[in-house]
Amino acid sequence: MSLSKRIIKETQRLAEDAVPGISAVPHDDNLRYFDVTIDGPSQSPYEGGVFKAELFLPDDYPMTPPKIRFLTRIYHPNIDRLGRICLDVLKSNWSPALQIRTILLSIQALLGAPNPDDPLANDVAQAWKQDEQAAIQTAREWTEKHAKP
Amino acid sequence: MKFGHVFKETLRNEGFPSDWVNSAISYSQLKKCINRLASELAQVGLDPATLGTLLKQVEDYNASTQKDDDDRDRPFEYILSGDDSPSLPKEQRKPFHPKLLFYVDEKTGEVHSAKLAEDTRSKLQMLAVATGVSQLRVFEEPDNHSMGSEESTETRSPPNELNTVNGIRKRPGFRTVEIPLTSDTEFFATLTNQLSGLEALQEKEEKRMHAQIEELGKQVAHLTDPERRNNKKLVPVWRQIFQIYVESSIFFGTTERDHEAHDADKAGERFLEFSDKIAKEGLVDKFKKAENVNALNAFMHINREILQGLRFGEINHVAMLKILKKFDKQTALGVKSTVPTYIVFPEFSSHLAKAVCASVSSQIITHVPLLDDYSCPMCMELKWRPVRLRCGHVFCIRCLIVMQTNKQHRCPLCRELTVVDANAGNLDLELAEFLKRWFPDEVKAKQKYNELMAGVDQYGEVYKEKCSVM
Repeated sequence: MSLSKRIIKETQRLAEDAVPGISAVPHDDNLRYFDVTIDGPSQSPYEGGVFKAELFLPDDYPMTPPKIRFLTRIYHPNIDRLGRICLDVLKSNWSPALQIRTILLSIQALLGAPNPDDPLANDVAQAWKQDEQAAIQTAREWTEKHAKP
Repeated sequence: MKFGHVFKETLRNEGFPSDWVNSAISYSQLKKCINRLASELAQVGLDPATLGTLLKQVEDYNASTQKDDDDRDRPFEYILSGDDSPSLPKEQRKPFHPKLLFYVDEKTGEVHSAKLAEDTRSKLQMLAVATGVSQLRVFEEPDNHSMGSEESTETRSPPNELNTVNGIRKRPGFRTVEIPLTSDTEFFATLTNQLSGLEALQEKEEKRMHAQIEELGKQVAHLTDPERRNNKKLVPVWRQIFQIYVESSIFFGTTERDHEAHDADKAGERFLEFSDKIAKEGLVDKFKKAENVNALNAFMHINREILQGLRFGEINHVAMLKILKKFDKQTALGVKSTVPTYIVFPEFSSHLAKAVCASVSSQIITHVPLLDDYSCPMCMELKWRPVRLRCGHVFCIRCLIVMQTNKQHRCPLCRELTVVDANAGNLDLELAEFLKRWFPDEVKAKQKYNELMAGVDQYGEVYKEKCSVM
């Protein structure tokens, strides 16, 4: 299937007008597959970390959302050990007017505001609810261990 | 090279109009003023070194005490304008009346502040003693009712009360001594005068450029009128030029990383890139008729004028900062940080350039609608055919058909349940006419694609292959 105008435009803009702290570069041999990095937001336990992710645009994108998964290990109540992300705009609240850049911004915001009441990683959410300070400390340690560039 | 020289050279060589050059800050005149002031100060024993030490002590003192201490122990003050306040609107402000004040103990005759070095103190004591005699005029603070007699040395304010009249603090037990200076008043009068001259010049230039832009706008509207048969091939050329112009973001950045006004250097660089791109695309050659080439030249000229104005404003701003720095160096009075709160430099970059750029885009570029403003937020191609949902958002018909087939019922922009009940009645016929008139090629291409995809919907993917065989 040929690449739509939409994907070409989005890719162009991602390169020309990059979002600070976020990058998304398509593979040469598959322009629907992107290597993504997201900087941990400042004043969060992920600060200073650079988190790798993979993003794939399905054939019926933008009618269906992009598929995205963290490759870097991250201690976060809404991200499981396989890197899958629990975020409404990636699922039921997806809208075809959203874009790669807006989705990545939402994910960066999710790092800054973990939501243990809507968990994906149950054990992490549990820990987060029981002792937030300790959980934040663990998140910081994981960032140090896995996400340092 | 000295700045005075550089400034003069720039004014001469950048090709500014002569009335601009005449309105520029007269750096050398102000420099002479400063020299006169320095010798006035030297006459009363306050050479830059002495004053420098004094003011340094004041600074150290301020740093070592709490802010709310109301700096009542400051031995020295240079008040820029006793009856002025930066919060007042510009028209109500009075001209500068700078005053150099120091405080002398009534009884001992000592200059107030224990931290003065021995020789400095004795110098100032001498000054204070000399007040009654000749050069130094004793400044008796006027009280709240009358202006007070200037020769009286009596302090009338009750003890322990700190009063501020016209910005001069009354200090119980201390005499305020003003050192009479005239060249500083002259300096500030000249400077403010020139700044308002610059402002007037800018207003004049802005008016002139707006008229020019309006004129060119009419011309472009005429040249790109889609109803004129001859223009058919020219509209895409103009569109491409303006598209490149908008993307070049010459005077203001429009990206995440670069979203501020550009200085003259950067804007000049961007402008060169813009004209290079136009040349590379061979767009000028596509204009067969002289009237189009002339209009493009006029457009380039306006941009060059904005650039020139930007540069002129910048060098004058630098000249002002440099002359204030020089003032401080020669007198150690420390005005460089205080003056800018009193006078506002008429910023060319943020004012004129902005206004002119705004009218360039509103009066010239709008005559040629750009594709980006009429593309569907989903497929990012031309919104053909345009369907306006009940919530007011417009998409191309193809994307909405796909959404309805997928049972995606909500508007992609506002999430209202408006996609579900869209039908033929939602076609925006007026917008359709507009698109047909301005984007005939894009409409044709999209129409073809829509028809193809409708066939695929009906007969499946094979429909595509069948088409390509035919």
